[in-house]
Amino acid sequence: MKHMQKVYLVLEDASVYSGNSFGAPAPLPGDLEKNDPESMNTAAGEVVFNTSMTGYHEIITDLSYTGQIVMMTYPHIGNYGSMDAWSESLPDSRGTVSAAAAGLVVRDYYEGPILKGRRSLDDFMKEKGIPGISGIDTRRLTLDLRDHGTRNAVIVRAEGDKLSPGERESILRFLKKFPPMTGRNLLDSVGCGVISRDGHYEKADLGEVKKPDSADLHFALLDCGIKGNIVRELEKRGVQVSLLPSDTNLKQIEELGADALFLSNGPGDPGVLKKQIELTRQAIGKLPVYGICLGHQIISLALGAETYKMQFGHHGANHPVRNLETEHVFVTSQNHGFAVTREGLPEELKVWFINANDTSIEGIKHKELPVMSVQFHPEAAPGPHDGAWIFDSFISSAKESRAKK
Amino acid sequence: MPARKDIESILIIGSGPIVIGQACEFDYSGNQAVKALKEEGYRVILINPNPATVMTTPGTADAIYMDPLRIDYVEEILKKERPDAILTTMGGQTGLNLTRELFRAGILEKYDVEIIGASIDSIELAEDRGSFKKVVESLGLESPNSILTTSFKEAEAFKERNGLPLIIRPSFTLGGMGGSIAQSHEEFEDLVEKALQESPVGEALIEESLIGWKEFELEVMRDQHDNAIIVCSIENIDPMGVHTGDSITIAPVQTLSDREYQIMRDAAINILRAVGVDCGGSNVQFAMDPETGRLVVIEMNPRVSRSSALASKATGFPIARCSAKLAVGYSLDEVLNEITGKTVSSFEPALDYCAVKVPRFELEKFPMSYSTLGTQMKSVGESLAIGRTAMEALNKAIRSIEQGWEGLQELDTDEEELHKLLSSAHPLRIFAIYSLLKKFGPSYMETVMEQSGFDRWFLFQMLRQIELEQAFLQPPELERNSPAFTDLLLEAKRMGISDQRIADLLEISRKEVERLRLTADMHPSYHMVDTCAGEFSAETPYFYSTWGEIDEGSALGKDAVIILASGPNRIGQGLEFDTCCTMAAMAYRRLGRKAILINSNPETVSTDFNTSDRLYLEPLSSEQVTSIIRKEQCSDVVIQLGGQTPLNLAGELEEAGASIVGTKASGIDDAEDRGKFSALMKELGLRQPMNRMACSKEEVKLFAQEIGYPVLLRPSFVLGGRSMFIAYNEDELKDFFDRGIKATEERPVLVDQFLEDAFEYDIDAVSDGEYVYIGGIMQHIEAAGIHSGDSACVFPPYKSSEKVLEEMTWAAAAIARKIGVRGLLNIQFAVKDNQLYIIEVNPRASRTVPFLSKTSGVDLIDTAVRIWEGENLMDQGLVSMKSSGERKVGVGTCLYGRAIKEAVFSFDRFTNIDPLLGPEMRSTGEVIGLGDTFGEAFAKAQFSAGNTLPNTGKVFVSVNKKDRETVIPLIRKLISLGFDIAATRGTARSLFAHGIMSEVILKVHEGHPNVADNIRSRKIAMVINTPMGQFAQRGDDEIRTEAMRMKVPYTTTTSAAAAAVEAIEDIVKNPPHVQALLTGHP
Ligand SMILES: Nc1ncnc2c1ncn2[C@@H]1O[C@H](COP(=O)(O)OP(=O)(O)O)[C@@H](O)[C@H]1O
Ligand SMILES: Nc1ncnc2c1ncn2[C@@H]1O[C@H](COP(=O)(O)OP(=O)(O)O)[C@@H](O)[C@H]1O
Ligand SMILES: [Mg+2]
Ligand SMILES: [Mg+2]
Repeated sequence: MKHMQKVYLVLEDASVYSGNSFGAPAPLPGDLEKNDPESMNTAAGEVVFNTSMTGYHEIITDLSYTGQIVMMTYPHIGNYGSMDAWSESLPDSRGTVSAAAAGLVVRDYYEGPILKGRRSLDDFMKEKGIPGISGIDTRRLTLDLRDHGTRNAVIVRAEGDKLSPGERESILRFLKKFPPMTGRNLLDSVGCGVISRDGHYEKADLGEVKKPDSADLHFALLDCGIKGNIVRELEKRGVQVSLLPSDTNLKQIEELGADALFLSNGPGDPGVLKKQIELTRQAIGKLPVYGICLGHQIISLALGAETYKMQFGHHGANHPVRNLETEHVFVTSQNHGFAVTREGLPEELKVWFINANDTSIEGIKHKELPVMSVQFHPEAAPGPHDGAWIFDSFISSAKESRAKK
Repeated sequence: MPARKDIESILIIGSGPIVIGQACEFDYSGNQAVKALKEEGYRVILINPNPATVMTTPGTADAIYMDPLRIDYVEEILKKERPDAILTTMGGQTGLNLTRELFRAGILEKYDVEIIGASIDSIELAEDRGSFKKVVESLGLESPNSILTTSFKEAEAFKERNGLPLIIRPSFTLGGMGGSIAQSHEEFEDLVEKALQESPVGEALIEESLIGWKEFELEVMRDQHDNAIIVCSIENIDPMGVHTGDSITIAPVQTLSDREYQIMRDAAINILRAVGVDCGGSNVQFAMDPETGRLVVIEMNPRVSRSSALASKATGFPIARCSAKLAVGYSLDEVLNEITGKTVSSFEPALDYCAVKVPRFELEKFPMSYSTLGTQMKSVGESLAIGRTAMEALNKAIRSIEQGWEGLQELDTDEEELHKLLSSAHPLRIFAIYSLLKKFGPSYMETVMEQSGFDRWFLFQMLRQIELEQAFLQPPELERNSPAFTDLLLEAKRMGISDQRIADLLEISRKEVERLRLTADMHPSYHMVDTCAGEFSAETPYFYSTWGEIDEGSALGKDAVIILASGPNRIGQGLEFDTCCTMAAMAYRRLGRKAILINSNPETVSTDFNTSDRLYLEPLSSEQVTSIIRKEQCSDVVIQLGGQTPLNLAGELEEAGASIVGTKASGIDDAEDRGKFSALMKELGLRQPMNRMACSKEEVKLFAQEIGYPVLLRPSFVLGGRSMFIAYNEDELKDFFDRGIKATEERPVLVDQFLEDAFEYDIDAVSDGEYVYIGGIMQHIEAAGIHSGDSACVFPPYKSSEKVLEEMTWAAAAIARKIGVRGLLNIQFAVKDNQLYIIEVNPRASRTVPFLSKTSGVDLIDTAVRIWEGENLMDQGLVSMKSSGERKVGVGTCLYGRAIKEAVFSFDRFTNIDPLLGPEMRSTGEVIGLGDTFGEAFAKAQFSAGNTLPNTGKVFVSVNKKDRETVIPLIRKLISLGFDIAATRGTARSLFAHGIMSEVILKVHEGHPNVADNIRSRKIAMVINTPMGQFAQRGDDEIRTEAMRMKVPYTTTTSAAAAAVEAIEDIVKNPPHVQALLTGHP
C-alpha cells in the first residue's frame, strides 16, 4: 500500500472520522488556534452533503459553499479529473480562479491517470488550498446530518500517528469558537471588488460564450459570489452584464443605466444581509429585480418575508420542482441551507415554484411588479439544464417592463 | 391528472417464453404493471403463454390467457373480453411487434381498443433504424455513419469510403438477428451477401464501426406533461462492440464529467420527446469516442427492457410500475416513490454506491471462439451486485454468477492465450486483463487500454486490487493476529473479496480466514437501497452488504424465515425457480410470517422490493447467507425452492447453525449421493437403470460391455448433466474420450444402461413426512434420452397404462417417506417394456412446479409452506382417508382436457449449432398449450413456441430405418389433410412400398437443388427428420439448421412428429379457441 497521510474530520459534537488526505495539506490542531475562526475559510466550516453524482469540480468552486465543508454522497470522486474551465467561481482581479468550499469529504478518491488535457482534482485542490479527506463512512455521516442537522467541523492532521487527547481538545475548543452558519455574513470574502462595466471576469476563460455585438438588455449583477454559468447563460441570451460588488448602492446602479438588477447566489445566512436587503427594497419598483438562490432569499426578505435555516438543506442535482403556474415538474440543481418561510409570506408575493418533495418554496413572483426569483439553480453547473428557461423568463420580463417605460 | 376514468379494462401483452435477449425481466415488469393497474381499479386481462411466470399465477390479473401470442388468438380474446385499452410496453420486443401486427391488421380498430403506453407512431419511429436516424439528426445529434442498401455494389462503395471494420445488419430480422462485424475484406463480402439474403426485404444496414468506444445507457421516464427524469445512467465496462446485454456494466456512469453527462441527459430527453414517448419509460443508448468526446446515438427502446429492470434494481425506482401509472394518465409527480414514501417519482434517484451487472454465459453448452461477442446478445442470464465501491460491487457480482469465480482473479492459462483474450470480445476478457495487469504491473495499463478499450478508470481500480492482494503476500509475512493484518483483511473485505479468495491467496482454509475475521469481530454491515443517497429515511427495506460502515435496519428476529432464491438464469435453472420463491414469500406473508429473500438476479420478481418483507441483493454463497442469518437473528432457511444453488448450500448452512426448513440435509444427501441413493432404491425394491462407476478408460469399456449398449456416460463433477453422452458402440466410446474427458479415481465416469425408446415421466409431489400429495404426473412426448427440460410433456399422461401410473404414485410416496421429505420432491421415471425405472430424484421444487400448480389448480408452493408451518396435508384437505385409504396419498388432476408444456430454444443466436436434442438440457424457456384435446393443446404449445405448424403445403420427410414403419400412419394422415409429401430417396422408397407417392428431394451433399435449397426458398412447410443416433450421416444437421434458420417447424423424433400431426389436424379442422385460466377445481 502506498503510504497515505492520515487526516481527520472532527465534528463539533466530538465525533471523529479518520481517513486519508488528498488535496491541500490539512492544518495541525495547533495551527487552528492561530486563526481567527470568523475569517477562516479553509479546512473548517459547516459540513453539508451533496447528492450529485457528477460535478464535484463545479461544486467545490461554487462560492455559495464558502464556509462549508462539502461531503459528496456518491462514493467515487475525482474519476474524470479537473479542468480550470469548469470552475464556477469567477477569476479574482489577478485572473486566477478562487476556490470556494472549505474542504471536501469523500468515500473514495480516485488517484489514477486521467484524460490528457485535464489535471487531477488533487492537483487542483492543492493549488486552491482545499484539503480533502477520503475513505470515511460518508453514509454514516449523511444519515447523522440528515437526522440531527448540519454541524461545524474541521479537517485536521495529527502531529503523531494518531490524534492525541490533547489535540482533540484543542480542536473542539476551536470548533466551539467557530461561528454557526445562522447569522453568518460571508459576503466580504466573496465576489468582485470593483465595479466593472464590461465585466472583468472576461480575463479568465469562461468557456465558449461569445458576447453579442449589440447587447439588447443590460443587467446589473450584484455579485454575492456569483456562479460563472449565470453570467454565461445571460450572455448567451444577448444580455450585457455588469458585475457589481455586493455593497454597491442604488445610486451607483442607476448611474449604470441597467435595465434590471439581478441578485446572485452566495454563501451564508441571508437574514443578516442588511445592506443588500435594503438595496433591494429600494430597487423594487424602480427596476425589475431578479434573483437566484441567495438572491431569491434577499428579494423575499426585502419584501417582508422571513427565512429559516433548514435541517440539512438541499444540495444536489435531482430535486423536483413544481411550477405552480403550469403544474409542470422538472429536475433542478440545488444548493441552499436556508429557505423562505411560507407562513406570513407578504400579500404582494405569490409562490411560483415549490419543491415537489417537501413543498418548500422554490421561487416567488411579485403580483404586480417585475420581481421574481428562484431558489434552485437554473444555470445548473453542475446538474440538469431543465430550468434554464428561467433566464428567458427574466429576460422577457425585463424587456416587457422596458417597453412600458 | 388522476387515473383515466374513460377506460375500465386493459389488456397486457406478456413477452412469452424465455429466450436469450428476452428473459424474466418481462415477468417482473409485467407483474408490476398488473399490480399497478389493479390498484387503480382497472380490470386487467393478461396474455402470456409462459407457464413459469409469476404474472400468470391465478389471482394476479382478473383474467389470464396462456394462449399463443398471435393475432388470431389475440383477436379471440378481444372478442371475448372487449378490453378498452391495450398496454404494449411490458412484453418486450414481442409485445411491440404483436401490437404493430394487430394494428396493421385493423384488429385494434375493429374492437375499438386504444393503445396505451407507447403509440404506434412512436414505436415505428423508434424501431425503424432509418426513421430513427432522421429523428436523431433533426435534434442536431449524431448517428453512426451508415447506409441502408439492397445492393452489394453500394455496400462496397461505402466500405471504400469508410474502411474496415464495419457493422452489418440485415433489416427487419427479429431482435437484431444476423448482425455481424466485418474485420477483413473477405469477411465483408461474405457477411454482406448473407445479410442481404437473410433480410426478408433484401436490405442491410452497413454502419461505421464504433468498436472500442465507450458505451452508455440512460433510462428515461417521461409523462404527458413533458415531465422527464433520468432514472439511472449505466456505463458499459466492456466498450462498444459487445452487446450491452453481454457487457459488464456499472451504474451510475463513472467516467463522464458533469458537462458531458448533462449533454447526454438532454439528448436522451429530447429523443423521447421527438419520438413521442409521453407516458412511460425508454432506454437510450449512446457511444462516445474516448479521445475526442464525439457523442453518437445508437438506439432507443420505447418500452421497459432488460436495462430498465436492471436500473430499477440498481436504484430502487420501479420503472415498470411507474410506466403503467403514467400510461393511465398520471403524471410523474403524482406517483409516490414507495421506497422513501416521501418523495415523488419526478425525483431522479441519487446513488451512494455502485451497482455492477455481470452476464452469465453458457460456454460449455454454446462454446465460443475468441471474438464471438458482438452486436447480438448471447448471455443467458445476469447477476447484479451492489457495493460502496466499483470493485466491491464487481467482485460480488462476479461471484454471484456462480461459475466458480471467487471474484476478479487470474486465469490459469499461458501468456499467449491471455494476449489473445485481451484483444477479443470474449467473456473471459476481464479475467485476462486482470492476469496481465497482475503480471506486468501498472506500466502495462496503456497497452491494455489500447487493446481492450477498457477505460483507464476501471483498469486502475483493478490495479488497486492487485496491490492489495500483493500486500497479503509481501514479506515479511504479517502476523495473522497483528493489527496490520486485521487492517489488511478489512481492506480486502471492503474491496469485495471473499473469505475463500483470501484463503486461496494465503493458502489456508476458508474456515481459517473466517476464524481470523470473526476473532477480529469483523462482520458485514448492511446499507439500504433508498433511491436518495440517504437524504430521506427509507421505508422499504432493500439491503446490500458492505464492510466497516454503519449497519442499518434492526433484526427481524426468529419470526422471519429466509428464502434462498436461484441466482442468475442459466440453462436448467431459471424463471420457474424464481416463481417458486416468490410464491413462497407470498405464502409465508399470508400466514403472518416475515419473509426475507436473498437473490442476485436483477431480472426477477423475487428482487422486487415489495415481494418480501426484506430483500437482500447478495451472492448466494454460504459466507453471505450466514452473515445475513446473523444480522437478522433468525435461523429458518428455505433451500428447496431455488433449484440446485441453495440446495448445494444445505450442508454448510446447517453446519453453521441454520435450521433448514423441511427435508433435512441428510435426506437431501440421500437423494443426491449416488451410492446412498442406489442402496435406498434397492431397499424399496425399485429399479434403476443398471449403472456402474468407472475409474479408468478400460473400466468404462468393460462396464459398457457388461451393461450392454447403448450406454449413457456421465462424467462426474460436471454440473447440470453437462457432457452427458450416449454411446451406441465401442467406436462412440472413443469419441467420448476424444472430447478430452478422463475417468479417474477422483473423477469417475458413471456408466448407465441407456433405456432406448422408453417413455419418460416427471412427477412433482409434496410430502409432510407422512402424507404425500402428488401434484400430477407428466408424460414426456420425446422418449427418454432427451432431457426432461427439453422434452415436451403432457399432463395428464396420454399414452400410459393405469397400472404404470399407479406404480409411479406408489413409488413416489415410498421414496418421499424413505428420505424424509418435508416439502417438495421431483422424480423422473422411465418406462420401458412396462417396467418402471427411477431416473432421478430431486429433493426440491422442480422446473415443472409452476406449470403443475397452474394446470391442477393446487398451488404446490403454498401447500409446502403450509406444511412447514405445521398444517399437514390431511388438514389442508389434499389427502383424505376416504379416498386414499392406507396409502395416505392424494393425487392432483388437470383442470383442462390436456395441458402441454413445450421447450423453447435460443439456438438461432448461435451460428453452427446443431439443434438436435439429447440428454443435456439446452432449452432456455418454455410455453404452455391448454386444450380440450391433445391436438389442440399441442397446436397451441407449438404456436407459442414459435413453431408455425402449417395447415397446408409440403411436408418433407427423412427418417432413419428404424422409424420408417412408424411414420407411415402419420404420412397417411397428412395426405388426407391435404398435404404434399417430399422425401429423401431412402424414405421415399419405403413410403412407396406402402403405396405412398412422394417427391424425391436430394440430400444436401447430393447436389442442387437439395433439401436445404428447398427450405430456403420456402417450398417446404414442415420437416420430419429423425437422425441416425448421435453421429448422424452428413447432411442431416444441415437440414435442421436450415429449417431453424428459416423458422420452418421441424421434428426430430417420431413421437414429436405424431404429436405435430395430431395438432395439425386440429388446426385444419377447428378455429382458434382461447381459454382463460381457471382458478381451482370446479
Ligand atoms: N456501429 C457500431 N459499432 C460497434 N458496435 C456497435 C455498433 N452499433 C451497435 N454496436 C454494438 O451492438 C450492440 C447492439 O446494438 P443495438 O443497436 O443496441 O441493438 P439491440 O437492439 O440488439 O440492442 C450495442 O450494444 C453495441 O455494443
Ligand atoms: N438411463 C437412462 N436411459 C435413458 N435416458 C436417460 C437415462 N438417464 C438419464 N436419461 C435422460 O437424460 C436426462 C437427464 O438425466 P438426469 O439424470 O435427469 O439429469 P439432470 O440432473 O440433468 O436432470 C433425463 O431427463 C432422461 O431423458
Ligand atoms: Mg441495444
Ligand atoms: Mg433430470
